[in-house]
Amino acid sequence: MEITWEDGSRSTLSGEQLRWACPCAECRGEAGMAGRLSRVKTLSDAELRIRDVTLVGQYALQIAFESGHATGIYTFSLLRHLVA
Amino acid sequence: MSAPSSQQVLDALGRIKDPDLGRDVVSLGMIKELDVSPQGKVSFTFELTTPACPVRDRFKSQAEDAVGEIPGVTGVEVRMTANVRPAFMRPKPSEVLPGVKQTIAVASGKGGVGKSTVAVNLAAALRKSGASVGLLDADIYGPSVPVMTGSKVVPQQSNGRLLPIDAHGMKLMSFGHINPGSEPTIYRGPMVGKAIEAMMVQVDWGQLDYLVIDLPPGTGDASLTLAQAVPLTGVAIVCTPQDVATDIAIKALQMFRKLNVTPLGLIENMSWYVCPSCGHRHEIFSHGGAESAAKRLGVPFLGAIPLEEGIREDADSGTPVVISRPESAGAKAFVEIASQVAARTSIQSFRQLPVINVH
Repeated sequence: MEITWEDGSRSTLSGEQLRWACPCAECRGEAGMAGRLSRVKTLSDAELRIRDVTLVGQYALQIAFESGHATGIYTFSLLRHLVA
Repeated sequence: MSAPSSQQVLDALGRIKDPDLGRDVVSLGMIKELDVSPQGKVSFTFELTTPACPVRDRFKSQAEDAVGEIPGVTGVEVRMTANVRPAFMRPKPSEVLPGVKQTIAVASGKGGVGKSTVAVNLAAALRKSGASVGLLDADIYGPSVPVMTGSKVVPQQSNGRLLPIDAHGMKLMSFGHINPGSEPTIYRGPMVGKAIEAMMVQVDWGQLDYLVIDLPPGTGDASLTLAQAVPLTGVAIVCTPQDVATDIAIKALQMFRKLNVTPLGLIENMSWYVCPSCGHRHEIFSHGGAESAAKRLGVPFLGAIPLEEGIREDADSGTPVVISRPESAGAKAFVEIASQVAARTSIQSFRQLPVINVH
């Protein structure tokens, strides 16, 4: 996935990179519970392939993966930090 | 003396800068249908980005002067028009609200500061300037728009979609239209989100320059749903001057900043009161709180509105004060604020959102 930011700079992010950065509660964990991504070591190909990306308002992207996982809302600031 | 070339005219007009957009009016594409006759008569269309443009008259005289000074010009005719541009230079219309060029939210954080009064009058002032305007009342629990606009009617349906109510030349939709009477709407948060989404997606808004959205108080479900469902052009924050209101207004403003929605600025409501019997000016809720908060936060201060009995009376009787008493101080304040909001909104038309490509 390639993003051209408002200032013209560009970021290129792979499905794998994005999947491991998923910010959703299931992946990250919540209320003291460890999330899925801290428990598993590998993810299947279908989990790493992007199926669809939708804009959330004007502050984030919702990324759907081939596995059906789509609960992560990636804010633009998160996405920019992933690159840096 | 021979007539000037079109390029000479454009060069002269190119020295006029738009104070809000910070660029010259020629490169912004505002000069159209330029014609220079062999006799030296120059005529062109000056297309503003909003009919509520605060510098409309200044632009007209600047254009006449700039062209009139060119040697060989014998007459100048400037046709002033306006064409609201869609927000964020979008290549294609947004899927939600496809016919709406600009969406402006009115929020406050705190309740009871006059959000709905401001939203209704802001919409009415934009309409008066000549724009096509819709007003969406996103307050599901306490809808005020039907009373304030005298439109307590049930919306009609067409092809499975609701038709907005037409009142005072504006298109309106409120949960008070959908669920009229004194029965309360008893909803949990997620249902509020669904109701707001339905009022955007299932209502046939048609083509609009501006859709003003009156938000309920709070920094929760309603605001979040809205900020996720549509790319909002910006949000105008209303507060009263006292600390207890500005403190909460700041929270609302920061929430929208987190959601990448541009704050168009702060509006101070109930700013002062002129006693009808003694003529003395009272500052019941203090004064200037919003302006100093705006300065601290680095956002524009859009203006102050007085506390007037007429504003309340006209809201209760269903006609916004900008329509019923255009000469009152309150109405003038609303009109001035509406043109500030329109100008700030125009700036957002030139902003671009990140572009995403998936390979």
